[in-house]
Amino acid sequence: MNSFIRFLSSSIGRKYVMAVTGLSLTLFLLVHMAGNLTLYAGNDAFNEYADLLESNPLLPLAEAGLLVLFVVHILFAVLLTGRNKTSRSDKYQSSLGMGAKTVASTTMWITGPVLLVFLVIHIWDFRISKELLDEYDLAQMVVDRLRHPVGFVIYTASIGMVGLHMWHAFQSAFQTLGVAHPRYRSLIQNTGRLITALLVAGFGGIPFYLFFTG
Amino acid sequence: MIQKKNHGDLRIVLEVWRQNGPGAPGAFEEHEVMANEHMSFLELLDVLNEQLVESGRDPFVFEHDCREGICGSCSMTIDGKPHGPRDRTTACQLHMREYRNGDRVRVEPWRANAFPVVKDLMTDRSAFDRIQQAGGYVSINTGSAPDAHAMPVNKENADMAFDAAACIGCGACVAACPNASAMLFTSAKLSQYTLLPQGQPERDQRALGMVDQMDAEGFGNCTNHYECEAACPKGISVTNIARMNREYARATLRRRD
Ligand code: HEM
Ligand code: SF4
Ligand code: FES
Repeated sequence: MNSFIRFLSSSIGRKYVMAVTGLSLTLFLLVHMAGNLTLYAGNDAFNEYADLLESNPLLPLAEAGLLVLFVVHILFAVLLTGRNKTSRSDKYQSSLGMGAKTVASTTMWITGPVLLVFLVIHIWDFRISKELLDEYDLAQMVVDRLRHPVGFVIYTASIGMVGLHMWHAFQSAFQTLGVAHPRYRSLIQNTGRLITALLVAGFGGIPFYLFFTG
Repeated sequence: MIQKKNHGDLRIVLEVWRQNGPGAPGAFEEHEVMANEHMSFLELLDVLNEQLVESGRDPFVFEHDCREGICGSCSMTIDGKPHGPRDRTTACQLHMREYRNGDRVRVEPWRANAFPVVKDLMTDRSAFDRIQQAGGYVSINTGSAPDAHAMPVNKENADMAFDAAACIGCGACVAACPNASAMLFTSAKLSQYTLLPQGQPERDQRALGMVDQMDAEGFGNCTNHYECEAACPKGISVTNIARMNREYARATLRRRD
């Protein structure tokens, strides 16, 4: 136990936690995205899929697990970023840069919190608000939300944020976990790009489809 | 006296950071220096300092020793790049032929809380020494040179250890890192032993000791921008950081207390 706590207080241990929770969340996003695709088959198909999920007795457990993943990921993001923002009090007077960092890598601490704000909106929209209704048509709720210009903008912009976050995150997590053999480096990088593209296209296609066909 | 303009002469406008001590306020001072394209960047600073001394002013303090790219002392950030614009080149090996007549060049120290400014461009990098002392060694009896075949080492590991051992401890990785992280340095110093049979007895102790010391010194955490690798004058690879992360996790699992 002691050694575990020491690990979690170290820079590398904390990065491990970020990587493990981040990759688990990535897996969740992929499954979530695949489920959303049922919407292309019509409202009924989507609702059927939602019913199937909701009737699963293990759903509350999965939701609790997901909540823990998010909370831990965010908590450690705060710890790591806090330290990183205070390790150089006297700033450079010229703009520092060797050309290796990217827009995605330097905005992780911005895209992350933006995703948190989105998460709150998203959970309100499709998870909490239906608890307050006696009867609801989830597919119709999604359609109404995404056909509204405000909803459309919030959702498409947030999917862009997921894309930026993931562009850096996937290969970064493998490097953190120590999987960085030169032989696998480009395989991991390309897998990350593919997953990012899949997520952006899969999630992002739906608001565009609904908004421009509505 | 009128100086004859020689072929290859360059007029350089230098903005150099002046700071009287740790925590003191600092500012750039502007000076014009006549350089020649054959000079190294440090020789340019020598010329500037000579001018300053002759006119009764304080020279700029900057660190230097070997002037051939092996000691790691010549720490300075030139136009936002640690060791200047040339790839895999220390400031002492940077030559003025990289510049054009009339160029304006800005020189400032490494900036990281773990590397406090001693004066002007000179920083205190003893945090690196303490990381090294926390595990960057092997406790074998060196004695006289053993027979080459007494301890077999596979070629791939020998090469990787040699590459890691090329680190000169200059601190450019910290200086270049957006988080002022020391993970490239620490991982190089860890890898050079951990990859070799001689490094096995203290393997776990080394990983735990060096990483914990690195954290205690106040460096930031790596977020995998890989700016360090791009800045490193010795081309140390970030695969060393991945190895260090593995080693630290492994040592944690194996520790008994
Ligand atoms: C939508 C789901 C999310 C996924 C799939 C995800 C995934 C990831 C992954 C895989 C990493 C890379 C870890 C590493 O470099 O080792 C990461 C890093 C990071 N995440 Fe997330 N994340 C998500 C949401 C969030 C949220 C809500 C926040 C903050 C409030 C956040 C903040 C960060 C930060 C700051 C980092 C960089 C940490 C570092 O490298 O030190 N993420 N994320
Ligand atoms: S890893 Fe490279 S940049 Fe860092 S101290 Fe060693 S030689 Fe310098
Ligand atoms: S003075 Fe020794 S490396 Fe530059």
